[in-house]
Amino acid sequence: MKLLLRNIRLPLANFALEVDAEITHKVVALFGPSGSGKTSLLDLLAGLRRAPEAFISLDGQVLTDTAAGVEIPTRHRRIGYVPQDGALFPHLAVRENLLYGCNGKPPTDDGCSLTFEHVTEVLEIQPLLDRGIGRLSGGEKQRIALARALLSSPRLLLLDEPMTGLDFNLKGRVIEYLRRIRDEFKVPMVYVTHHLEEVFALCEELLVIERGRVVGHGLPQDLFVVSNEPTYRLKRANPE
Amino acid sequence: MSADEWWIIGFTVRVAAIGTLLILPPGLLLAWLLARYQWPGKPLVETLVALPLVMPPVATGLILLRLLGRRGALGGFLHDRLHFDIVFTWRGVIVAMAVMSCPLLVRTARVAFEGVNPRLEQIARTLGASERRVFFSVTLPLAARGILGGVLLSFARALGEFGATILVAGNIPGRTSTLSLAIYQLVQLGQDTDAFRLLAVSVTIAFLAVWGSEWLMTHRVRSE
Amino acid sequence: MKSPFKSLVLALALGSLPGAGWSAADTPAPVELNVYAAASLTDAMKEIAANYQKVGGARIALNFGASSALARQIVEKAPADVFLSADEAKMNDLEKQGLVLKGTRRSLLSNTLVIVVPADSALKIASARDLAGPQVKAIALCEPQTVPAGIYAQQYLRKINVWDQVVKKLVPTENVRAALASVESGNVDAGIVFKTDAGVSKEVKVALEIPAAEGPAISYPVAVLSGSTKAEAARKFVAYLESPAGIGVFRKYGFLIRPGSPAP
Repeated sequence: MKLLLRNIRLPLANFALEVDAEITHKVVALFGPSGSGKTSLLDLLAGLRRAPEAFISLDGQVLTDTAAGVEIPTRHRRIGYVPQDGALFPHLAVRENLLYGCNGKPPTDDGCSLTFEHVTEVLEIQPLLDRGIGRLSGGEKQRIALARALLSSPRLLLLDEPMTGLDFNLKGRVIEYLRRIRDEFKVPMVYVTHHLEEVFALCEELLVIERGRVVGHGLPQDLFVVSNEPTYRLKRANPE
Repeated sequence: MSADEWWIIGFTVRVAAIGTLLILPPGLLLAWLLARYQWPGKPLVETLVALPLVMPPVATGLILLRLLGRRGALGGFLHDRLHFDIVFTWRGVIVAMAVMSCPLLVRTARVAFEGVNPRLEQIARTLGASERRVFFSVTLPLAARGILGGVLLSFARALGEFGATILVAGNIPGRTSTLSLAIYQLVQLGQDTDAFRLLAVSVTIAFLAVWGSEWLMTHRVRSE
Repeated sequence: MKSPFKSLVLALALGSLPGAGWSAADTPAPVELNVYAAASLTDAMKEIAANYQKVGGARIALNFGASSALARQIVEKAPADVFLSADEAKMNDLEKQGLVLKGTRRSLLSNTLVIVVPADSALKIASARDLAGPQVKAIALCEPQTVPAGIYAQQYLRKINVWDQVVKKLVPTENVRAALASVESGNVDAGIVFKTDAGVSKEVKVALEIPAAEGPAISYPVAVLSGSTKAEAARKFVAYLESPAGIGVFRKYGFLIRPGSPAP
């Protein structure tokens, strides 16, 4: 994909989010400590927040251009969002949550034919379909939220720490599935995390954000030294 | 309980119900706007909505009488052009009840809407829902219990309305006589026993309505 | 901490010193009488009270309302000294309960009923039977079970067999001035009030006067109440009402004068 983030300026609580970057790979990770503005950036991409200054375009279509007064409404962006807490609709059963983005009908085929059966099978949520969401574990909720976003046939998927609450085995399986989404179904993703192994397992491009600023942008292996130590060391010499 | 008394009870419940139903759409809309949006002049709107709650009901009744009377800005038009009277008719009762109980509905509905996690509405938008669909498929169902509690509360308020009603509709036996107006008249006549009988009915209905309202408002669907 | 009791005693002691306002050597405070009067007497009584003060009489605090409401207040021990009712029945009730000071009751005034319409109304009322007609949709009337003006009106309407046809159109009001105000506002088509009320308002006109011969016997009794603590001053005031000075004002406002005599 080609995702242009130009001249973005969004004042936050203690600092301003300032981003100017061009994303060219299919899966990009937003990496950084909590509170650095990553979720706000996702909100801007989805059109859930407005910045005083921003230019965002996806594959040539301008989504936001404050200078020209262009702001495509969220519902027309077809950008799926899996927030950190899942945000499932509490008054709907699992099945109805999943089908919300398709208006209750099966998703249309436009090169992104993720079928209901397939998605629910791989994310292992088929036994849960008729449950109310009050009695689900955190991990189950995450998977359902992911499935729900996928079933709306998005052309970009935003994931905010989607592995929260998943156990080690399930993480591996879900990462596998996300790779398939990337490779077979070709849905690009913006992936927020602060777990480095997820970055290396899945992402092709990496944006490191600290206190609202991009302090690193490039390929994961160029930015990080992987060592046997449990911590990482960021190379500050940053090739843009 | 005499036939007249049953008529009074039935009439009061009917007009209170109609009045409550009438204010439901505009009241919900206003509550939603107040819950979700900011705009210049919003404090003024909030104050105007709250006014009938704190003003003396007869003062509100006087304003309504001026507006809706045969010589009033609105009432004059209705009387002269459409041969339609509001004051001293059952319609006046409904208007008085509606105006006096509207603030309660708007307040509780606003709280109900504010209790709906905006994140859920945002997610619905990312899934392609229009604003209308978001409201009816996400916001409203999650706020439903709180709203229903507000409906019951404003129904109870409408039932007990007196000050504005007596000015706008008078206490015409068989035409505009509500429970509160009838109790007042019976006290005037010195018929305290009859007054207490109607009082008991009035208290029972109000008790049930408020109890139901409280139960609904504390058993809201909790949204994350 | 001083006990509150001690402080109270101290305050009382200080307060009883000369110059503190409680000395018996001070001149007595001016007498104030509480006079409860039927609403139709509002303008006349205000003028009489002002005149009375000018000639050195007591200060009159006036309380106007429907005679029925006032009578009930008196029964509930309201501090009234003099009562002017718009019908004998209310006074009879009070007398039965021993609330009237013997020998002070007089039947003072009479009045006439009129049918009024808003000043700009085109309605023609040739006889009271026209009230049953279709152009009359709402009639203001005092509460016909309790308020004298309403009782008189109901008596008359029943007498001419029109009551059943108009009862559905009646807008009952609390007192005769409220009925007048309803007609003034234009929200009713007609009203039945006393002629004296119609006289004080420019916004209504008299459509029909009910002749005294055909109408009900209207009588306004006055009495000093047995609960009054200023009976002497009250008697003096009642005497003033019956004097030429008082009678003159009543006549001016259109009241009919009955020969002063105790009620039967």
